[in-house]
Amino acid sequence: MSSLPTIQRMMVEQFDLKIESLTPDATLESLGLDSLSVIEFMFNLEDELKIKLPDERVEIKTLQDVTDLVDRIVAEQSA
Amino acid sequence: MSRRVVITGLGIVSPAGSSPDQFFTNLMAGRSGIKPLTCSFADQLSIKIAASVDDFNPSEHFSKIQLTGIERFSQMALVAAEQAVQDAQLVLDESEYSRAGVYMGSCLGGAGTLEDGYIEVFKRNNPRIKPLSVLLSMNNAAASHLSIKYCLQGPNITYSTACSSSAIAVGEAYRQIKHGYADVMLAGGAEAMLTLGAMKAWEALRTLAHEDPEDPGASCKPFSKNRSGLVLGEGAAVLVLEDAERAIQRGAKIYGELAGYDCSSDSSHITKPDSAGQTRTILSALRDAKLQPSEIGYINAHGTATLAGDIEETKALKLAFGADAYKIPVSSTKSMHGHLMGATGAVEFMAAILALQHQAVPPTINLQQADPECDLDYVANQGRTDIPLNAVMSNSFAFGGTNAVLIARRFVA
Repeated sequence: MSSLPTIQRMMVEQFDLKIESLTPDATLESLGLDSLSVIEFMFNLEDELKIKLPDERVEIKTLQDVTDLVDRIVAEQSA
Repeated sequence: MSRRVVITGLGIVSPAGSSPDQFFTNLMAGRSGIKPLTCSFADQLSIKIAASVDDFNPSEHFSKIQLTGIERFSQMALVAAEQAVQDAQLVLDESEYSRAGVYMGSCLGGAGTLEDGYIEVFKRNNPRIKPLSVLLSMNNAAASHLSIKYCLQGPNITYSTACSSSAIAVGEAYRQIKHGYADVMLAGGAEAMLTLGAMKAWEALRTLAHEDPEDPGASCKPFSKNRSGLVLGEGAAVLVLEDAERAIQRGAKIYGELAGYDCSSDSSHITKPDSAGQTRTILSALRDAKLQPSEIGYINAHGTATLAGDIEETKALKLAFGADAYKIPVSSTKSMHGHLMGATGAVEFMAAILALQHQAVPPTINLQQADPECDLDYVANQGRTDIPLNAVMSNSFAFGGTNAVLIARRFVA
């Protein structure tokens, strides 16, 4: 199951973003998120989904990139 | 190089008002910003009063995304700075960015963030601490946010000298302009240390005022026989300092000239105030301002309401001013806004500047019976209007022994 709805819900809660703006192809930059707010968001995602994201830098530009990364880690870590 | 420095903008977020007008109106009316603490941890404290800024609502000023990376003390600094910049109608063109800087004072920076992290790590055994903790809590975060927001590419320094931090920040910023290293400086202080750990630490030091059983707002009683200590506060104050020529050329409103400053040390004891050291600082600041002691019309005292502090400051004023000490109105506005620690010097200098502007002297409230060893004119309980003021002084004497004195005078081109 895609983690997109969870990511969208958390972005609404944490950053007051409008759900309509949170399309998969929306870039984080266009949503007003800088690298620091993304770090904070990923930290909260780890807590929410009980996962550990990789330490190495992963190219993340869009909401779909976040979703793909999280879905991959969820699959690996629940395997 | 020696240039004249003027004050062209003021901004403040404080327990006694969150605009310069509101702040000075409250001071003149003798309204206290000290009150019972209503926060969740109040029950864990023995002394449950503070000068908190209860009407500060960050979401009125910042988006949730911004708040992710801006701690309370930086939030208050940014709001105070925006008031000051608007007040000064300050616009920097790109060629001026590197000639503009920011100096701020803070004692504990983002104390709340640090404590939250410690609670997770030490109390809840949580191995995870929020990733932005360092950036939120570092003492220089407030000044750096100001630098970023206003393109201040000149010097950006945070001073941490306990109670004199922001007086030092203002004074050193003045020197930057005076000696030609910068043309415009934002200067002030910010503090948000009303946290359980910080308040417990202060309680343990036994310098906090006991709650007045009849009126918690009257708990801080500087120079009074029954004073029992200081009341912790929070807030921020930011001033715009400018090269006088620049201010005149652009037709800026000028509150006054920052005419004198000195910073020097007691070099005697880590907490015990020392009138000899304080006197040295006052006299040096007067020399810097090229003023005679008798020309000072109002003194905003450090006046913490600690037993030793008020007596020692009274002694210092007598040593520095001689017989004139008895003629000059001296007040401790901490009786109303509390002790804002790293922000307090800037807050109190602002009170003195506003006194100069309004030709009015704010009172020391809660002063029914003065300590016999405190025998100056402390403007007890009632502010005074229509007082001709040409020059005013603000004292800041810190734990650690770092003293700072700032003098402002009416600006005559």
